[in-house]
Amino acid sequence: MRITNNMLVNNMMYNMGNNLERLDRIQQQLATGKKIATPSDDPIVASRALKMRTDVAEIAQYKKNVEDAGSWLEVTESTISSVGDILQKARELAVQAGNDATTQSDKQKIATEVTQLRSQIIQLSNTTYAGRYIFSGFKTDETLIDESTGFYNIEVQKTGAGREDIKYEIGIGDTININALGSEIFGGAGTAGSTPKMVDDLDKMIAALNGNDGEQIREAITDIQSNIDNTLMIRSDIGARTNRLDLTSNRLLADESTFTKLMSQNEDADMAEVIMKLKNEENVYNASLSGGARIIQPTLVDFIK
Amino acid sequence: MRASFFGLNISMTGLYASQRALDITNHNISNVNTPGYSRQTVNQKADTPIAMSDGTGMVGNGARVLGSERVRDEYLDFKYWSENVSYGEWDIKETMLSDVEAVFNEPSDSGFNTVLNDYFSAIHELSKDPSSVATRALVKEKGITLTNYFNSTATHLEKIQSDLNYSVKSKVDEINSISEQVRALNEQIYKYELQGDTASDLRDQRTVLIDKLSKLAKINAQEVTVGKLANGKDDVRFQIVVNGKFLVDNFSSYKIKYNQSDTKNNPEDIPGIYNLSWDDGTPFEPGGGELKGYIDVRDGAGDAKNEFKGVPYYQRKMNEFVRTFAKAFNEGFIDYDGDGAVDTEDTDGDGVLDVGEDANGDGVLDIGENKTGHADGYGLNSATGDALPGIRFFTMNDISAADFVASAADPTDPNDIDDLYNNMTAKNFTLSKDIQDSVDNIFTSTTAGEKGNGEVLLSIIEFRHDSKVFNEGTPEDFMRSLISNLGIDSQQSGRMSLNQETIVKQIDNRRTSNSGVSLDEEMANMVKYQHAYNAAARMITTLSSIYDTLINRMGRF
Repeated sequence: MRITNNMLVNNMMYNMGNNLERLDRIQQQLATGKKIATPSDDPIVASRALKMRTDVAEIAQYKKNVEDAGSWLEVTESTISSVGDILQKARELAVQAGNDATTQSDKQKIATEVTQLRSQIIQLSNTTYAGRYIFSGFKTDETLIDESTGFYNIEVQKTGAGREDIKYEIGIGDTININALGSEIFGGAGTAGSTPKMVDDLDKMIAALNGNDGEQIREAITDIQSNIDNTLMIRSDIGARTNRLDLTSNRLLADESTFTKLMSQNEDADMAEVIMKLKNEENVYNASLSGGARIIQPTLVDFIK
Repeated sequence: MRASFFGLNISMTGLYASQRALDITNHNISNVNTPGYSRQTVNQKADTPIAMSDGTGMVGNGARVLGSERVRDEYLDFKYWSENVSYGEWDIKETMLSDVEAVFNEPSDSGFNTVLNDYFSAIHELSKDPSSVATRALVKEKGITLTNYFNSTATHLEKIQSDLNYSVKSKVDEINSISEQVRALNEQIYKYELQGDTASDLRDQRTVLIDKLSKLAKINAQEVTVGKLANGKDDVRFQIVVNGKFLVDNFSSYKIKYNQSDTKNNPEDIPGIYNLSWDDGTPFEPGGGELKGYIDVRDGAGDAKNEFKGVPYYQRKMNEFVRTFAKAFNEGFIDYDGDGAVDTEDTDGDGVLDVGEDANGDGVLDIGENKTGHADGYGLNSATGDALPGIRFFTMNDISAADFVASAADPTDPNDIDDLYNNMTAKNFTLSKDIQDSVDNIFTSTTAGEKGNGEVLLSIIEFRHDSKVFNEGTPEDFMRSLISNLGIDSQQSGRMSLNQETIVKQIDNRRTSNSGVSLDEEMANMVKYQHAYNAAARMITTLSSIYDTLINRMGRF
């Protein structure tokens, strides 16, 4: 093939341009730490990178939701546990009052104490978490039981589609109720203006104590026991939910580390490899420069005297 | 008997021939870097010999220069032109698609994915505490970021389309200018060559112009013999044909016109798109080259009209996204069976087709496509017994939800409201004025008066993972497939462009190999002709001394 001067120059420029382009790409990988800069560098990696980002962001959000659900359940659990303690105390007092040896004046003292317990329970029914009433269902801005009357202030729906379960999403399509419904804990019809069974039972006990009615006091023991059983049932339900949260939380932690790792594997550049390549390309570029410089300089002109 | 001074004549032809050859060498050296220059060679032969009358054969009459010739393989030119056209087209597509890639800015920490993730995070937070005004404000701000992302992407795409439009115009100007220059050169070349010469340098200039033109549009350039001239030579005319019509026909060139039409090629187009036509009004199709590259990216919507996925395609996809997304978010409409209409037979809205829910009585239970959306909820300040306010989270051009649905024939018919979303575009996509005015209007509750009810948001969070929202799947899947499509197209253009570049480069190398000036060769020629000249001059000296002997010394004693 006939080789002309311009061919030499053109080819050298073209090849050097290619070398520089490769160097630039490697330099970019080195500077950003990423395999790709645009989707066209590798559409598959780009598409997977987008998916991974969403997955990692979602897992972070679900972790947050699980934590928040956990704290809400914790407050609910400890409040119901206090309600249980109070009921237990009321039951002990009822048993004590049911004893024939207890005098009428003792029974009246017990009645005063139970009145105190009653108002404590009403106070607990209006417990707030971060400014929201935890037993009021969706009406988190309203008290559950009116402190002066002892009646339900609002109706917390416990049946049908309108059941006021507050749900947090803790996984794709996976929700968990984080509240306990006041109408279920405190019993009764649950409609606004009706008396909660728990309050009603304590009221009956107070009346029985004041009226010194042994029969009714013994009945009160059974009634209070049924309230205790109810709270225990709700607590075990909350316990089960907390368990589920713990399991979910562990799984999310594992997922987070897996997905973060996958994300890095997918899009991060292998630094050792990139530096190796950089060195290699540098050598090629230097060689092409020095080779080119030798070839294009001399012509026959230099040698004709 | 030979003439006495015959030898001097022979030497003279030698001197002339060498001088002419040196001139050509000189010309070649001077033009070593002239683009498109073909080296010239001297065409010489031994002059017609004289027959000796005494039967001693013929005596040479020296050298005769017939002219100079350019060294050119025209087959390579044709090949170059036919490959250059694809190079031009894909080179432009690669460049323009990387511009589009830059607009989408993925994968990064500030692209669509991040914006959508942040937005849904805010929705999640609000679903956990619907009564918090601070979280409501967060949802609003993240919503604004989301709408701004689409507005700015659409604006950038429009900017690219307007740049492309301008490029189309300037490329047409370039074609017109080149065809005019070729026409002028045709006249000059024709006149010179009438006398039988070869207008080498002018032909080179014309080839350079055709080289440029071949990158702009798919051309067919050739010389056609149309008859005989009076002097018996072929009458050769140079013609350039684009898309079956003459761009240049010997001494005439035809202009391509561009006019801004009022009707849009695609509904997504910016106003003032240039349409190209010939002088007689028939549409001009470049058929390839940079012009086709610009037009395809400018007009390609990936449909029957133009299969290339250019700027309108991405505008259309973005519009489709905001429409479908806003519809699912605002109204809870998800077109499960893909029939383009909202089927509402799930009358109790529980997402399950209960027995007897065949509302339209066609005997078939259609999928309930009307889920709980933003407009099905109540705000923070609603009171028990309030009527459904029907505020939409997303509208367009900052209008309120009431204005948005005002034009619906029947605001209670989901399919009438459905149509309204066709006016929504990525460019005009905004939060509704109601939400901008007050975050209380972010609807979270399915029942009026329940501040802690986040059921609406839970339903919205659900559709994020509903693979039936788009044909491509979830909202993220949609964008992901859009961006990986873009990546693949851009990568493909890059590869095509690189392949074509290599082919064009290869052909050009062969052309340069054949026609280019080699300084070494010219130097060698220079020395060769210099020696020939010296030798011829030496012959004159020798002859001079012979004549000196003959004339001055002979017969003297």
